[in-house]
Amino acid sequence: MSEARSAILAAIGATLGRRGDNRPAPGSTATLAEADQLRARAAAVRPQRIPGPVHLAFMARLTSPGVAATTEQVATLQDFPAAVRRYLAAHGLTAAVALQPHPDLLALDWAGIQTHSQIGPDEPVAAGLALGGIAETGTLVFHSSPASPTLFAFLPLHHIVAVAADRIWSGLEEYADAFAGQPQPRNVNLVTGASGTTDIEGTLVHGAHGPARLHVVLIGGA
Amino acid sequence: MSAAQSHASPAAARRSFDARVASALADPLLKTAIDRTTNNARTKRAAAIAAWPEFPAARELGRDIKDHVIAHLDHYLVQFEHNAQASGAQVHWARTGQEACDIVIAICRKAGARSVTRAKSMLGEEIGIPHALAAAGIERVETDLAEHIIQLAGDPPSHIVWPALHKTREQVKELFLQRHQDPGPLDSIEAMVASARRELRARFMAADVGISGANFLIADTGAVCTVTNEGNAELTTTPPRVHIVTAGIEKLVPSTVHAMALLRLLVRSATGAELTQYTTFHCGPKRPGDLDGPEEFHIVLVDAGRTRMLADGLAEMLRCIRCGACMNHCVVFRQIGGHAYGATYPGPMGAVLTPALAGLPQSRDLPRACTLNGQCKEVCPVAIPLPTLLRGWRDRIWRDGLEPPAVRWGFGVWRFLVLRPALYRLATGVAVRVMPIFARGGWIASMPLAGGWTRHRDLPRPASQTFMQQYRRRPRP
Amino acid sequence: MRPAIGFAAIALLEAAGCRVEVPLAQTCCGQPALNAGDHAGASRLAQRNIAMLEPFDVVVVPSGSCAATIRVHYPELFHDDPPWRARAEALGARTHELLSYLADVRGWRPERLALAATATYHDSCSGLRELGIQAQPRRLLAEVEGLSLLPLGDAESCCGFGGTFCVKYPAISNAIVAEKARNVAATGAQLLLGGDLGCLMNMAGKLHRNGAKVRAFHAAEILAGMGDGPAIGEQS
Repeated sequence: MSEARSAILAAIGATLGRRGDNRPAPGSTATLAEADQLRARAAAVRPQRIPGPVHLAFMARLTSPGVAATTEQVATLQDFPAAVRRYLAAHGLTAAVALQPHPDLLALDWAGIQTHSQIGPDEPVAAGLALGGIAETGTLVFHSSPASPTLFAFLPLHHIVAVAADRIWSGLEEYADAFAGQPQPRNVNLVTGASGTTDIEGTLVHGAHGPARLHVVLIGGA
Repeated sequence: MSAAQSHASPAAARRSFDARVASALADPLLKTAIDRTTNNARTKRAAAIAAWPEFPAARELGRDIKDHVIAHLDHYLVQFEHNAQASGAQVHWARTGQEACDIVIAICRKAGARSVTRAKSMLGEEIGIPHALAAAGIERVETDLAEHIIQLAGDPPSHIVWPALHKTREQVKELFLQRHQDPGPLDSIEAMVASARRELRARFMAADVGISGANFLIADTGAVCTVTNEGNAELTTTPPRVHIVTAGIEKLVPSTVHAMALLRLLVRSATGAELTQYTTFHCGPKRPGDLDGPEEFHIVLVDAGRTRMLADGLAEMLRCIRCGACMNHCVVFRQIGGHAYGATYPGPMGAVLTPALAGLPQSRDLPRACTLNGQCKEVCPVAIPLPTLLRGWRDRIWRDGLEPPAVRWGFGVWRFLVLRPALYRLATGVAVRVMPIFARGGWIASMPLAGGWTRHRDLPRPASQTFMQQYRRRPRP
Repeated sequence: MRPAIGFAAIALLEAAGCRVEVPLAQTCCGQPALNAGDHAGASRLAQRNIAMLEPFDVVVVPSGSCAATIRVHYPELFHDDPPWRARAEALGARTHELLSYLADVRGWRPERLALAATATYHDSCSGLRELGIQAQPRRLLAEVEGLSLLPLGDAESCCGFGGTFCVKYPAISNAIVAEKARNVAATGAQLLLGGDLGCLMNMAGKLHRNGAKVRAFHAAEILAGMGDGPAIGEQS
């Protein structure tokens, strides 16, 4: 195995060295500077920034045809269980929900809903709390942790997610910058709409393996 | 082993290419499927690009990011390995596809794996993971819907983004009725998708090992980025005890922000969306307190001809981010489809890659079966000069003597004439006297030596004198 | 094959105020060798052509692919030969496709030219993608009174000619040109126009084999007032 490593790195080094242009040594400040310049150029070429309040742009993007999530807005996180109740009633679903084991969610009043923290493979509904959102693309951000297991975003048929209006970043880079210098989580999931596929005759169908429906409840942002 | 690799002689390779092309051209259902997929992809891409005025500058940035990584590939590989290991991942290196498969099988064996789920990975196809798993007696469960379909059908993929584009809904219905445990009536595409969801659910949870590819390898965090629409990548890589990533060494990018710049280009170019439903960065195994996640996280860095491409003047091809835009716009692909290429990667990018990965003699028809019209290069989000690279292969084909003797001889005659104007004029003068013998009215429907043309179209009869003959006889002012 | 195009080119250039000379020693730009990968053969021919053409102020070619060969590909052939590369680049800078030269460089427009017909225009790939020729032919043809240009579906797609491609891979070429011919016929236009004879012969040949009534001309012929003459495949 290390033989392969040496052989591959040697072959690359030999080729790049042969090119003769003044290639800086690996890890040199010149390489880093070049990478930084490229990163800086991204700002100039990204799609136009969203005008107006970021959380409104986020909501608009979520309901756009390309994302096709459903949305609602409530004043505080205390209002989230009621939003979940409304969703269950509207879709004729049993009041039993896999609840993401986040302390802020566990502290809410879930009267009338049977919540459980183990998510099953055929879970009908899960309720969760996203770390934040990205307005540019209508994306929810999840970082895996004991309070945010990955599979909560993938196993349920219906995924109802609360996200704070003041945790919406305008674009991909703003989200990345917010966590710059912090250790990388085990799993970062950027979720944009409900699961879908166009693999059979190009016809779009939701709910291929992940959730068929994504309902986003924006907390705050009056 | 792809079909392109298994032929003994160039003549045999040509016959089998011709046979695959003929079979594709004779299949009207295939043409319908190709048109539907590629027309849709082209329209959506065009709309997304039109809505992004900065696109031309963005693709220059994409090109420059990739070129920067390629120019410092050893640096970024080492940095990635270091950071991946720091996150708890085990990093393996494979010089060849076979070495990579051996590593994957060894990991599976050590884990006592009986069943493996797979998320879509063209690199996995390229190196032959399905074959290796079968040979090792390990059950392989494809989880991407298109890969699931072609697994049931026993077909190779026909497109890098829509591997089952060649299948009609009726064919999928038949497959699912025969092979799914609880298909139901399957009277709609929604019902078929629901059946696949049911069929694969338990398999996701029961798998011992999940194998994925990578769209990007993030050097400064050691994370692996996958870009999917279905959620199958996360369901493949989270429940099992072991997650194995196989990735070509060219998938590196310096950081997450660089990946984001490329993601904007990739998704719009592939499907016209801004982001796929699931963009996931996987970094190492389960952490203390995690309720899910693999206990072991392995990354296999695969060379399989890529360092040779770097040395052989094909560095620009290493920019490829596997969007599929080139084949969606290629007039040849749009007529013959993916299987005719006889290799993992079809279309223009496949015509450049396949000779590099599988050898030129067996795959020389791919760079030749091209009109060099340049639409591929026009739509490539990282500005790969595909026609130039294809011409480069043609130069090699000529230098290596892989053109048939008849062609070389014909060119020899032509070259002799074009360097001697008087003889050239003599020859063209004779031609315009001889060709009309075969004409009826203004057209030639059939003529010796012109079968390639006249089999399918008429040839206009030339004027009775060439331009030069007429020009020289004009009265001077 | 079709001398009318050459004479149309001469007439147009003279109308635009040029003194036109046709080098008698010319044979071919060498594109077939270039595309076949015969680098050595293409280079020899390119050197001969560069020497033949460089005494002139401007080189004008009634074909996008031949003009692109000289302008774009000759310098590439001499990548490792700086003196020849310099000569190729110098010549290339003075080499133009005919219609774009007339429109962009001479600022020429047809005057008092009429042709009552509907036409559709095919953009040949080399001209379109290597030389940026798209608006110019249309601008010129728009000045022809009575000529109505109908848009061609999937206009930017290759017609399947590709030089020797059409005879090396005839089945694929046929499939491509069949689709192009369907698009041409679907416009309902009486005329098919373009800037490259190879593409025009390919499309016209397929249309004729299909029994279509569309008549094909090089755009230069129309602009030179020769639209009342025989189209490709017609006899005078």
